[in-house]
Amino acid sequence: MASLKLKNIHKRFGSVEVLHDINLEIKEGEFVVLVGPSGCGKSTTLRLIAGLEDITEGEVIINHNVVNLLEPQHRNIAMVFQNYALYPHKNVRENIIFGLKMAKVSRDIMDARLEKVAKMLELQDFLDRKPAQLSGGQRQRVAMGRAIVRDADVFLFDEPLSNLDAKLRHQMRSEIKRIHRAVQTTTLYVTHDQVEAMTMGDRIVVMKEGVIEQQGTPMEIYLKPSNTFVATFIGSPSMNLMDAKLFPEHVEIEGQRIHFKEKIQRPDFLLPKEGLPIKLGIRPDFFLDENFASRGGSLAKINYAKIDLIEPLGFDKELDVQVGTQSLKVRLDLRTTAKEGDTINLCFDMERAHFFDIKTDKNLFIHPPIRPQA
Amino acid sequence: MLGKRTLWQNCLLALTLGVVLFFCLFPFIQILSTSLKHQFDWGNPSLIPIKLNLKAYQELLGLGKGAEVPIPETVKRLLDNPLLTKEAKEKILSRYRSTRDVFPFPRFFLNTFLLSVTAAGLSLLLAVFGAYAFSRLRFKGRSVIRRSILFVYMVGGVLLMVPLYQMSVKVGLAGTVWGSLFSLVLIYIIQTLPVSLYMLGNYFRTIPFALEEAAATDGCSRIQALFLIILPLSVPMLITVFVYCFMIAWNEFLFAFVFLKQYHDFHTLPLALQSLFVSKNAIWDRIMAASMLTLSPVILCFVFIMRNLTRGLTEGGVKE
Repeated sequence: MASLKLKNIHKRFGSVEVLHDINLEIKEGEFVVLVGPSGCGKSTTLRLIAGLEDITEGEVIINHNVVNLLEPQHRNIAMVFQNYALYPHKNVRENIIFGLKMAKVSRDIMDARLEKVAKMLELQDFLDRKPAQLSGGQRQRVAMGRAIVRDADVFLFDEPLSNLDAKLRHQMRSEIKRIHRAVQTTTLYVTHDQVEAMTMGDRIVVMKEGVIEQQGTPMEIYLKPSNTFVATFIGSPSMNLMDAKLFPEHVEIEGQRIHFKEKIQRPDFLLPKEGLPIKLGIRPDFFLDENFASRGGSLAKINYAKIDLIEPLGFDKELDVQVGTQSLKVRLDLRTTAKEGDTINLCFDMERAHFFDIKTDKNLFIHPPIRPQA
Repeated sequence: MLGKRTLWQNCLLALTLGVVLFFCLFPFIQILSTSLKHQFDWGNPSLIPIKLNLKAYQELLGLGKGAEVPIPETVKRLLDNPLLTKEAKEKILSRYRSTRDVFPFPRFFLNTFLLSVTAAGLSLLLAVFGAYAFSRLRFKGRSVIRRSILFVYMVGGVLLMVPLYQMSVKVGLAGTVWGSLFSLVLIYIIQTLPVSLYMLGNYFRTIPFALEEAAATDGCSRIQALFLIILPLSVPMLITVFVYCFMIAWNEFLFAFVFLKQYHDFHTLPLALQSLFVSKNAIWDRIMAASMLTLSPVILCFVFIMRNLTRGLTEGGVKE
């Protein structure tokens, strides 16, 4: 186990800068997920840590040692690749113990570790098979076995589940979590799938265009997104962003006034008289059908939402609704009986709503634009 | 249905293939046929010998007793000399009993084999490192050098022959047999290296780089990754390249003729065959048998390549 620290990392390919001042610290035994859309630089970050790419500027520190100049083989990291990268000419057993052989580990220890890992990953029956004779899930397990069999300081996972089908991905997600709990190795996991990020990480780091947008626990990221990108990237379906105007006592959406109740948190900064144009962010999950919402609390209401489409998902149903000129995605439970074409009144918890600056896209609660009133 | 041929198209295809095959195979069949015919049968246009004659092969491979050659009267009188020792008499008689000295096939075969294996082995070794560098390492001028390598073939061998021999003479290599052999090996390497680099380089590029990266994170240095991961995966192409270099060296006549002409004991098979054609021992069955035996390793090599090229070793390693 080791700590991992990225200090002011910059990476340039020619004149193109793909990573801008990345700072990240991962504690011993922590499971951190790097998440972001394709091309945001998350895999590059991982490759810099592994030593597969040179660092243009900054420092990678593993266990308090700067490893910038160390070759990958001397960094004591284990990496699981997106495309498995199994050695096709070696069987499962040889693939798993290859790293141990390179480290000149004694035969007894090698056998013991192989047995343990094969049992953990349920690979005992496939040890003599070649990668070509395995299914996708089995190959992925071998790739993981190759990493965990070694006593590596850090595990790096580069989108390891992206090539698997949905069912297997779900299964392997739990598997990886279970393995991490068992081995407790510091892990950095890269994915573009926000569900993976939410379910697996002790901490999530959201990246966009080579910049870390936000880092925190999954719930922090989910409940307090720092900007519209994080707000819409994390969570499925993604957060609704409505054009609204913010006044000291209410928010105005499509001519409807939504008043703040006394006890709710409210923007405590100067607002122009004509109102501050904002993006009001509400997650689809936080809407309630007025007919089934309990009275009181900090519930706010949006009236006359016209239902365009209903997608039943079993317990839930997803609705596309129209409020004035704006479209919203709403998730309601199965009690709602409204049909397509009906009009519905929706409630939401004002404490769960976010106000985003329309220019900077930043969350006004986290990044207030004007100094708070004295 | 798409791609379905009519009867006529099938017939035409079969005919074309048949004609091409006939033109390719006929010389080989002719060589084989003549090598198995007796002298009286040589004029017979049939490819099947009236009576099978394996004597030429036995002679060349040293399996037969050796043909008896009539001993001239003068030699007989010499042998009657009581002063001659038994060993001396035997030595004189053996010249008339064996034809092995006339065309020592096993010796020429061994010469050619050793020369070809050395040249092919060295060429392959150099090609492995060169092709790896071209396909994996990033350095200035990489693509220019890679593309210009094949320019070596723009200058024909005949044109290079004189300057190369002159160079070899000037540095003192052509003066000795080992120097000449060294020069030949060097020339064969130069002749085969561009294609070897090209073939191996292209093959290395098909091996996913992720495998090397995985090896690096598993604790391999670059060289270890090359030898433990890349080369085992490239075995079919390594064999192909080796066989290609081997065949070029095996069949090469021009440079061997220039460099080894004066060293009879070190003649290669193409050179020896040429000598056999113009010698007083030019007997058709023996010439053809020698040609057939010379061809056999090449044919074996082709069969071997065909078997190996069909195998894909990188399957299953990475998700495409």
